Amino acid sequence: MVSLIRRTVSRGFLALMILIALLPILWTILGSFKKLKDIVTPVPTLIFTPTLENFTTILQNPSIRDGLGNSVVIVGVSVLLGALFGIPAAYSLARHVERKKDDLQFFVLSLRFMPPVAIAIPFIIIYLDSGIYDTLAGLILVYLISTISTVIWLSVPAFERVPREIEEAAAMEGCSQAEIFIKFALPIAAPSLFGSLVFTFVLVWNELLLALTLAAENATLPVVAASITSLGKEVPWGVINASTVILVLPPLVFIGLLMGFINRMVATGRK
Amino acid sequence: MQKQRFVFWTLAPAFSILAILALVSVAGALYFSVMDRSLRYPDYDFVGLYNYQRLLGDRRFLNALKISAIWEVVTVAGSLLVAVFLSVYIFETTRSARTRNLICLAFLAPVLLPRVAAAFIWRFLYSPSLGLINYLTGLLGFGPIEFLADPQLALFSVAVVDIWQWGLFFTVIMLKLLETLPRDPIEAAQLDNAKTWEIHAYVTMPMLKAPVISLALVKAVESLRSFDLIFVMTGGGPGTSTETLDLYAYQAGINLGGRVSYASAMSILLLLITTVVFTLVWRGIRKWSA
Repeated sequence: MVSLIRRTVSRGFLALMILIALLPILWTILGSFKKLKDIVTPVPTLIFTPTLENFTTILQNPSIRDGLGNSVVIVGVSVLLGALFGIPAAYSLARHVERKKDDLQFFVLSLRFMPPVAIAIPFIIIYLDSGIYDTLAGLILVYLISTISTVIWLSVPAFERVPREIEEAAAMEGCSQAEIFIKFALPIAAPSLFGSLVFTFVLVWNELLLALTLAAENATLPVVAASITSLGKEVPWGVINASTVILVLPPLVFIGLLMGFINRMVATGRK
Repeated sequence: MQKQRFVFWTLAPAFSILAILALVSVAGALYFSVMDRSLRYPDYDFVGLYNYQRLLGDRRFLNALKISAIWEVVTVAGSLLVAVFLSVYIFETTRSARTRNLICLAFLAPVLLPRVAAAFIWRFLYSPSLGLINYLTGLLGFGPIEFLADPQLALFSVAVVDIWQWGLFFTVIMLKLLETLPRDPIEAAQLDNAKTWEIHAYVTMPMLKAPVISLALVKAVESLRSFDLIFVMTGGGPGTSTETLDLYAYQAGINLGGRVSYASAMSILLLLITTVVFTLVWRGIRKWSA
């Protein structure tokens, strides 16, 4: 009897924790389908006639549409370039660098941890002076710091997990270094590499400060979303909810991938 | 020979881009921090350490330093406490792998949210007139609480959101780490009639010392970039009660007349603090886990 009560209590506690994790998100999604009069009620409403009004408002709003477009271009290009430069570097770091490896990895990691303000302030002056302020290219350039360093940081362990024997065998067959990398190491490490790219994507997609300082008209979606509150007198909560949902969707799609990624990281972290 | 060329051409482009960008931002910040550049006027002069000197006498800067310190302690300690407590709790009460996976999935969702989105979600929940939380406290008989407008509460209300994102994320990692631990020491302790909390306090947590320290480091450095969350939730207010260093640097450099040189000096100090903390802890981890 006591154990039954105990079990129920612990079940209840866990359920509460899951509720705390998810309810805020679900509530926002629900809110995005509500008319303003269903939101501004003294008692929260669960039953209401859903509306797509908020989403149509958003998608018809030119600044949000542009923000979305800019986000896609900026994030896409900077992650792609991050992969192009970062993955080969990570491979060489994992396989061919011995003495300087720690120093190089420390450098990469320290960039990851650089406070964005310390990047934003000098770059805004340089960008204003050189005329690339408020351009997509300018934002992509500063994002390369994050994407290249994150891709390297997360891809080195992925290449270290590729069995050395395969590469050694390929070298015996007379494959060049480049061939070994492209034909053997890359395909074997691909799943983990994909995970590191996803992580990088989420990081840049979510970024606010650099986009806020280094762009004005050509800002990304987080900047546009952050500025909605100041539109007009009445706080358009439905519209805010809807734009939050749009902002949230791309990263959330990757939740399963992140889970697999954590599993692998933990597994190799403690051999 | 051919191998060396391959190594060079794979490493050189990536590292030169990184080095140039890092150098430009650090050197740029250093250079502008000894000038009196503002965004309004194109010409500027050398002023030496004047900006740094002024920082030390700037109440608002000292306040930001204090807020940042409180923010660091609350969010790092909060996230780790939540992670340790919840992961042990789940580890002990939930045996089925499927349920554990479902819990993990739910706990991973918050950290994936853009900070801007998390900030909006919670601003909505915290709202005194139409927020869900104030409705619930209202049912319990408490009047509407001004979570974000009360200077005493605002910083902690924002910290709750940060812990909501990172504490739950770390819970998942800690749970996975607990699962990888060898069973023998735990079973040995059970044979000695150790209580569950004793097993975790004296057996499993000491075994996880190194990863817990790395998590603390990651969170400590991550907490220094609190800008997104605080900017959207309170904008540093009410007053300056939630204004951290990066927020003040932004306000001074971009918003308030664009005193970029002053902000540069601030970001140099921020960079210095980050680097010192980061290097010390990095060395510490190497030594401990070696």
